[in-house]
Amino acid sequence: MTADETGLRELRSSVREFLEVKSPEEAVRKLMESEPRFDPAVWAQAAEQLRLPSLAIPEEYGGDGFGLVELGVVLEEMGRALLCAPFFATVVLAAQALLASGDREACARHLPGIAAGGTTAALAVAEDSGSWDPALISARAVPDGDGAWRLSGRKCFVIDGTTADLLLVVARTVAGPSLFAVNRDATGLAAEPMETLDATRAMARLTFDAVSAMLVGADGAGGRTMAKVVDVASVGLAAEQSGGARRCLETSAEYARTRHQFGRPIGSFQAVKHKCADMLVQVELAEAASREAARLADEGSAEFPVAAAVAHACCSRAYMFAAMENIQVHGGIGFTWEHPAHLYFRRAKSSQLLFGGPAVYQERLLDRLGI
Amino acid sequence: MADDIQDFAAEARAFLDAHAAKAPDPTAVTWGEGDDSMAYFSSLPPEAEREHVQRARDWQRIRHENGFGWITGPTEYGGRGLTPVHDLVYDAVESEYDVADTGVLSVIGLGMIGPTILAHAQPTVKERWLPAMYRGDAVACQLFSEPGAGSDLASVATRAVREGDEWVLNGQKVWTSVAQHSQIGLALTRTNPDAPKHRGITAFLVPMDAPGVEVRPLRQMTGGADFNEVFLTDVRIPDDHRLGDVDGGWTVALTTLMNERATVGSEGAGPVAAALSPDHLSALMRATWTWDDRALRARLAELLVEALATRHLNTRALRTLRAGGTPGPEMSVSKLMYGQNLTHAAHFVSDVLGPRIIADTGQWGTYAWSELLLATPALRILGGTEEIMKNILAERVLGLPKEVRS
Repeated sequence: MTADETGLRELRSSVREFLEVKSPEEAVRKLMESEPRFDPAVWAQAAEQLRLPSLAIPEEYGGDGFGLVELGVVLEEMGRALLCAPFFATVVLAAQALLASGDREACARHLPGIAAGGTTAALAVAEDSGSWDPALISARAVPDGDGAWRLSGRKCFVIDGTTADLLLVVARTVAGPSLFAVNRDATGLAAEPMETLDATRAMARLTFDAVSAMLVGADGAGGRTMAKVVDVASVGLAAEQSGGARRCLETSAEYARTRHQFGRPIGSFQAVKHKCADMLVQVELAEAASREAARLADEGSAEFPVAAAVAHACCSRAYMFAAMENIQVHGGIGFTWEHPAHLYFRRAKSSQLLFGGPAVYQERLLDRLGI
Repeated sequence: MADDIQDFAAEARAFLDAHAAKAPDPTAVTWGEGDDSMAYFSSLPPEAEREHVQRARDWQRIRHENGFGWITGPTEYGGRGLTPVHDLVYDAVESEYDVADTGVLSVIGLGMIGPTILAHAQPTVKERWLPAMYRGDAVACQLFSEPGAGSDLASVATRAVREGDEWVLNGQKVWTSVAQHSQIGLALTRTNPDAPKHRGITAFLVPMDAPGVEVRPLRQMTGGADFNEVFLTDVRIPDDHRLGDVDGGWTVALTTLMNERATVGSEGAGPVAAALSPDHLSALMRATWTWDDRALRARLAELLVEALATRHLNTRALRTLRAGGTPGPEMSVSKLMYGQNLTHAAHFVSDVLGPRIIADTGQWGTYAWSELLLATPALRILGGTEEIMKNILAERVLGLPKEVRS
């Protein structure tokens, strides 16, 4: 399904209204020091009232069958509100990994629960190095003789890794990197929270000791699956980033209009004015890059992989720039704990480096362009 | 697309099939083959320049005879009476064909001066000049900037004094593109030095062959002379060549400038497309054995991210226009990025080429980039400096307080 411009506007305003009530700054600050790092009641409401987890899940698996364009609108709003919720890990990473695996049975088993909001999920790929390159994975899985597998190894930087009901884990078999499903309560699984630069996004270190696991997709197909997931997830992340960057720009412009020094609003000084204009330019580019990539994905365009790499790089840069300049425009007040500017700074830096950072995504773009 | 748009596109295609060949892909590159010119401004010798202008006039005449000369213009002045969407559709179809470059006519004259004449001129002037312009007979220029009025355009000092049914103009204009080819120029003049500066300006259409109009080429840093200085000495202009009210010329200027922003932001073809094309830049890196240099690759990636994101921005603005909507600040952002992207590309390529861009080794596709390199400073100035564009974005889009102005 595809929403038209009016549909997208309505979606945006209903999500924004919901988040203004359910995820104001006070709520974000409370949750980032709580365990779990989200409010289960708000998560349930997001599923029941707005059907957010089901939005981009195909209808055959109990979802509403919309695409990345619609999902992008929701993610922009969530990025803007710094929503603390299992949405990104569950819907953008784990559900997309299930879909990309092409394993219809696994999709039918897990996606309806995700769509209904009852199941939260996480995707565990990176290990101690933080790399998402499946070739660098050392966690191993061996057949247990009964059709299931035994998975052993360590995973790091797993978003929502201590709370997710379902874990999708990339581990190496004789055939190569492969995707597995592991239940939260499986024997031999240990999860400990990691201290994170961005406290609004919980991360965990997972240890697997011969944990029972189900293969998802073909044995050895994990590399191909992950290539698809990284494209889709980086466009989802790009939407979150452009929403956050837009918020930083708006906050700066508002402050520049109202804060007076030397008897004038600081926004009348060209040095401040041009800083805000530079932020606007970056934000406009970021929105264009992320929205266009989402559109190309939904159209099944051959240009999507390049557009995904552009969106990831463009939005990472734009958000970091906007978050830094937002603090600068605010001056001393922007450096205080009480001001929300640092929350965006932390989210921007953490998002920029989540999938490896500039060195990785720049080479990915050149690779996609055949350079 | 609506049915009538599709019919129109088919009609355009039929016309172009009958009059032109298909164009090769401007971004496709086979290293060492074809024209390696990277000239942004035309740097043709006078004879070739005249031929270039003649080809532009000829092609515009053929467009006009076939109903594509002025797609959005009213039928009474030789236009087709269709919408801006039809205009965009025609441009998109024509870009697939190898036709004469009509920039000398279209960028300033048909794109900016024509709409201004239509909005503000008196009937005699509209009848005399609009059909001539869109038929390719008359080239028009913009007599706006002066030595003392650049970014602060409203401080123009060229005087116009009324004598009976005529006005007498005296002053100097500068940075006037295509003046050397023009039959008419739209001049901003000071008619009331005592009024606040925006309210003492009057606009006139100046026939460029009028006694007292002198066009002198202005040689710019590229070495070529694409711009001019225009000296006006006791030039007599009849009152019916006045646009808008006496002292109401600022409104006229705003019409022109609004149309300028719509023209300047477009992505361009030829050397511009090549400079930002991943294929072209990658061919250059292979030819210079730098393709595996990590530092250069990182810069190439940064450059391409900005260039491709700008392309997405343009695509989305165009789609909004086609759907009948009004784009937001995309056009101003696009203009800023256009200058920045080409500047970054020219400096990136310079660093790839190394000494081969400071002295000509004769190798294909190397020293030729110096032409683009030397042109890029202009792209951050013309059509509104980067600084002015940022003021506009901050004030009009973000609502920041205005500069303190006198």
